Amino acid sequence: MIRYATRRLIAAAVQLLIITFVAYVLFFLIADLTGANPAQRVAGKGASPARVRQIAHIMGTDRPWYAQYAHFVSQLVRGNLGYSFQRRQPVSQIVFPAAGVTASLVIGAAVLWLVIAVAVGLVGALRPRSLLDRVLTIGVQTSIAAPVFWVAPMLSYLLAYQPTQGRLLGISLGRRVDWLPIEGYVGPVANPLEWAHHLILPWLALAIGFAALYARFVRAFVLEQLSEEYVKTARAKGASEWRILRKHIGRLVAPSIVTLLGLDVGVALGGALFVEQVFGLPGLGYVGLSSIENLDYPLTVGTITFAALVAVAANAVADLAQAILDPRVRVA
Amino acid sequence: MSTIAAPLPDEVQLPVARSPAQDFWLRFRHDYVALAAACFIVFVVLAAIAGAPLVAWVTGHPPDRQYVNGLTIDGVPLAPFSHEVGPDGIHQNPHGQFFLLGTDKLGRDIFVRLLYGARISLLVAFAATGAALLIGVVLGMLAGYFGGIGDAVISRAIETAMAFPALLFAVGLAAVIGAGLTNVIAVITLFSWYYPARVVRSAVVSLRNAPFVEAAHMTGASHFRVMFRHLLPQLTAPIIVYATGVIAANILFEAGLSYLGLGVPPPTPSWGQMLSDGVSNGLYRVQPWLALIPGLSLAALMLSFQLLGDGLRDAFATKSAA
Repeated sequence: MIRYATRRLIAAAVQLLIITFVAYVLFFLIADLTGANPAQRVAGKGASPARVRQIAHIMGTDRPWYAQYAHFVSQLVRGNLGYSFQRRQPVSQIVFPAAGVTASLVIGAAVLWLVIAVAVGLVGALRPRSLLDRVLTIGVQTSIAAPVFWVAPMLSYLLAYQPTQGRLLGISLGRRVDWLPIEGYVGPVANPLEWAHHLILPWLALAIGFAALYARFVRAFVLEQLSEEYVKTARAKGASEWRILRKHIGRLVAPSIVTLLGLDVGVALGGALFVEQVFGLPGLGYVGLSSIENLDYPLTVGTITFAALVAVAANAVADLAQAILDPRVRVA
Repeated sequence: MSTIAAPLPDEVQLPVARSPAQDFWLRFRHDYVALAAACFIVFVVLAAIAGAPLVAWVTGHPPDRQYVNGLTIDGVPLAPFSHEVGPDGIHQNPHGQFFLLGTDKLGRDIFVRLLYGARISLLVAFAATGAALLIGVVLGMLAGYFGGIGDAVISRAIETAMAFPALLFAVGLAAVIGAGLTNVIAVITLFSWYYPARVVRSAVVSLRNAPFVEAAHMTGASHFRVMFRHLLPQLTAPIIVYATGVIAANILFEAGLSYLGLGVPPPTPSWGQMLSDGVSNGLYRVQPWLALIPGLSLAALMLSFQLLGDGLRDAFATKSAA
C-alpha cells in the first residue's frame, strides 16, 4: 500500500507540474504570441510604451520564459496565485472564498447524483426489461443528452420563477408563492438552512446529467454481477437479495464509483461554470467568467490553475481510496 | 439404376459466407431506434446544408435581418406561429411577415437562425472529431504497437490530459486566442484526442501478438504497413462507435463554448449562442421558446448520436471501452 501510494503521489506531483506548465504556456506564451500582451492588458490600450514596459517589469513578463515559469511555480507553491490589478486584491483572496461556494455546489450535487444513480440503477438491474426499467432508461438517455446549460435555466424557470407568477409546470396554483430562490448564495455557517434552500436547484441542475451517467453504469455493473457464480453461491447459502447487493456486489461496485467520481471532479467543475452563472452563485466559475469578461488576466489564470490543481488532487485521492477499497489495485 | 446422389434435404442450411459489413447490416437494420436516430441525423445534416438557404429564400428572411416589427412594442420577441406586429406594436398584422418559430431578442427569424446554427454545430463537431480521431488513432497506434518508452510517454500524456478539467482550460484558451471558427475547432480538438487514443492503444496492445500480425511480418510487411493495412481495419468498428460518442460530446462542447460567448462570434448563429441569448438577460422568462427551441434541438441531436452509437456498438457486437 505504501509503495502504491508513493508511486501514485509522485505521478500526481508530475501531473501537477505539467498542468502548471501547460497553464503557463497557455496563458503567458500563447497570449504573448497572439499579441495579447498581459502588461498591455493591465496598462490599458492608451498607455505609453514606457508605462507598459514599467508594468511588464513589475509583473515580470519582461524576463525569459523559464525564469517566468519558475517564478510562477514558486509563487504557486506558497499559495500566491497572483494579483488582480482590476480588483486591487490578491487572487487567492478572491479564489479561496469562491472555491468554498463551488465546493458546496459540487459536493452537494455529487451526494445527490450518487443517491439517485444507485436507486435508479438498482431498480433497473433488479427488474430488467420491466416497464419501470424501460421508462427509467428513456429518462436516463434523455438526461444524458440534455445540456446542463439548458437544464439549469429550465429548472430555474419552471420551479423558481413560475411559482412566483402563481403557476407550476404550466398549471395555475391560484396564488403567487415564493418557494425556491431564483438566484443568490448564503454561507453555510451564517445560515445552514438558507444555504441548502438556495442550493437545491443548483444541486439538482448539476446532478441530473451525472446521475443519469452513473445510473447507467450501476445498472450495467449490477446486472452483469447478478449472473456471476459467487452470487449463485451466496443465494445457495441462503443470503437475502438485499445482503447480496450490500455485502457482495456493493463491495465490488464501490471502488469503480470512487474512481469515476475522482475523474469527474474536473468535469463537474466545468458544469458548475454554467450552473453558477445561471443561479448567480459567486463560485469559481462565476469568478473565472467575469474575469474573462473584464480582461482581468491574473484572475483568469489563477482561477483556472487552482481548479485544475483541485481536479488533479481529487483524481489522486480517488485512486488512493480505490486502492484502500480494492486490494487488487495495490498489487498490480 | 440411378447413381445420382440424393438431393440435400431442405432443412439443411448451407453456411452462407457473409462479409463483416453484411453481418453488421443484418443486425443493424432491425434496430429501429438506431435507424430512427440515423435518419434524424441525416435530416439535420440536410436541413443545415440545403434547408437553411432554402428556408431563407422561401421566407425571404436572411439569418441576420432584424425585423423592427418582429418585437412587440415592449421589446418582447414573438412566439412561434406569429405574424409580425402591426402599427400598434401589440396585435399581429396578418399581412406581415410570418415567423414559424418566432423571433429572437433582436427580431430575427429563429427558424432560419436555427437551421444556419445547425451548420456551425455540425461543422465544428465533425471537424474537431475528425482531427481528434486522426491524432488519437496515430498516437494510440504508435504507443500500442511499439510499446517501450514511446508508449510510456504517450500513456502518461493521455493520463495527464484526462486529469485536466477540459472545459475550464478550453474556456481559458478560447478567451486567450479569441473567438473564431478555426480557433473553436482547434480548442475542441485539443481536448478530445485522448479518449480515442486510449481506446486504440489498448485495442492494439491486445492485437499486437495476434497470428495475423505475425504472418504479416513474415511476408515482409513494414511496420507502417502492418499498422495501417492490417491492424487498422480490425479497429474500424470500435473507432466508428467511439466517434459517434465523441461527436455528441463535441456538439455539446461547441454549444457550451458558444453559450459562454467563446464560440463563433455573432452575428453568425449557433445553437449555444441562441440559447445564451435567450437565457442570459432573463428574456426566456417572458418568452420560454427562446430557451426551449435551441435547447430541445441540442438535446435531440445529442440523443440521436448517443442512440446511434449504442445501436452501432450492438450491431458491431463490440464491447464499449468506456
